[in-house]
Amino acid sequence: MSGKVITVTSGKGGVGKTTVTANLATALAMRGRKVVALDADIGLRNLDIVLGLENRIVYDLVDVVEGRCRLRQAMIKDKRHQELYLIPAAQTRDKSAVSPSDMVLVCNELRQEMDYIIIDSPAGIERGFRNAIAATDHVLIVTNPEVSAVRDADRIIGLIEAEEKGPACLIVNRVKPAMVSRGEMLSIEDIIDILAIQLVGVIPEDEHILIGSNQGTPVAMNGSNGASASQAFRNIAGRLEGEDVPFMELKAKISFLDRLSSLFN
Amino acid sequence: MIQEAQQLRIKGIRDGLLITTSSEGSFAELCAQLRAELQQKGAFFQGSRVALQVEARPLNKAQILQLQRLFIEYNLELWAILADNAETRTIARDLDLAIRLAGSQTDLDGNVLAHLPESSGNGHAPAHQQSDAQVLMLRETLRSGRSILHDGHVVIMGDVNAGAEIIAGGDVLVWGRLRGLVHAGAMGDDTAVICALDLNPTQLRIADQIAIAPHEAGRTPYPEQASIKNGQIIAERWKSGN
Ligand SMILES: Nc1ncnc2c1ncn2[C@@H]1O[C@H](COP(=O)(O)OP(=O)(O)O)[C@@H](O)[C@H]1O
Ligand SMILES: [Mg+2]
Repeated sequence: MSGKVITVTSGKGGVGKTTVTANLATALAMRGRKVVALDADIGLRNLDIVLGLENRIVYDLVDVVEGRCRLRQAMIKDKRHQELYLIPAAQTRDKSAVSPSDMVLVCNELRQEMDYIIIDSPAGIERGFRNAIAATDHVLIVTNPEVSAVRDADRIIGLIEAEEKGPACLIVNRVKPAMVSRGEMLSIEDIIDILAIQLVGVIPEDEHILIGSNQGTPVAMNGSNGASASQAFRNIAGRLEGEDVPFMELKAKISFLDRLSSLFN
Repeated sequence: MIQEAQQLRIKGIRDGLLITTSSEGSFAELCAQLRAELQQKGAFFQGSRVALQVEARPLNKAQILQLQRLFIEYNLELWAILADNAETRTIARDLDLAIRLAGSQTDLDGNVLAHLPESSGNGHAPAHQQSDAQVLMLRETLRSGRSILHDGHVVIMGDVNAGAEIIAGGDVLVWGRLRGLVHAGAMGDDTAVICALDLNPTQLRIADQIAIAPHEAGRTPYPEQASIKNGQIIAERWKSGN
């Protein structure tokens, strides 16, 4: 078997990389795939919290890299799913504890057993970012409908292209349909126009995400009980598996002119 | 002097500047040469990222740090050391420096360091950009964070996004949307021009003039040319036969 390595990254911090990683990993596991979520945010780990696995950590990625444990020992199984694992980041070390070539070795080993290796990246464009994309087959860029987040996404896409890890795909997170229709927020079309990459997901602003993160239960696990973000994540999982899932309807259209003028005011 | 000039080659590449040094001479001589060169052209290079090719010359940690400080003095950021020596590469990597250029034929550890690309983009740039102004043509979109530095004219077939910049000794022609920063005539040529299919830059500079373009909401884009007229940068709609 040869699993696919998917890196979730953004440039700007706080746009939802960890949320997307946890939910995509969950959604893919719910489809019966063998999935490992790997936290490459050394020193600032929190994927374990969002997945509700914090209290089960014994070994972490740095332990694997430095030979203190076998890879299997650092893989925490999420008991709510058939085959979902987490490899946590070390909290007490910094990014230099892991090198890009370490990441290639770890991912190559994981590929043998898993269908998907989903990597959560740190913010920024330094060593941690290079680690996160070193072994990747496919990069997902997360951005928010916000000029500064889109600017940073553009920068990251350029770096990914330069590293020949492209073409990256785009997830727009925290979209507030009401604000978009009032022209107070960049629309999906505006963002695609700037970034010129393939869109794979649009996730609405949804308070269930925060509630789920605090409880360690990613929203993707919620059945059909109304959480719209839950469906959005499951749709992305479907698209990653090659299904042609239509995008959810996101409210009223407004004219191009209105949007532009609100943008530049 | 002529001897020294040959030992140091500086050129614009897709990631900023590539400075190629010779492995002959002492480390102190190398620093002196760099200093002399930066002193002379520092203003033009300001703010660029530098990749330093040191070939077979071994460097220790203290020497790399010294080079880093030297570049900082001239407002340049050393981001990559390209070395034949494996130990030098390890030291550079531990200092969080890149040890290869994107697109070069090396693995992640920088082994099998192939010949450096002679120029950025599609290989149209001349090897000696320092001599006479020539055209650097890139057929790609420049995304945020990219910086193109060239002492001749620059032609971009693609967009120049906000957050990207072009600094050229000559004219700049963007066959696409210009939303970033462009400095034409950066070495003082106030006859330089900037053209774009859609001129919507963050800022334009020609020679020592700076202009901020008004954002016109909802206009249909049309080709424009910016130049200095009566001591000011103005943009005019492109008319054939201009
Ligand atoms: N679609 C969303 N709706 C509401 N809150 C969100 C959404 N996406 C992310 N958040 C919240 O935003 C914060 C930052 O998200 P996180 O995934 O940690 O970002 P990153 O990993 O990029 O730093 C968290 O508190 C998270 O719960
Ligand atoms: Mg995070």
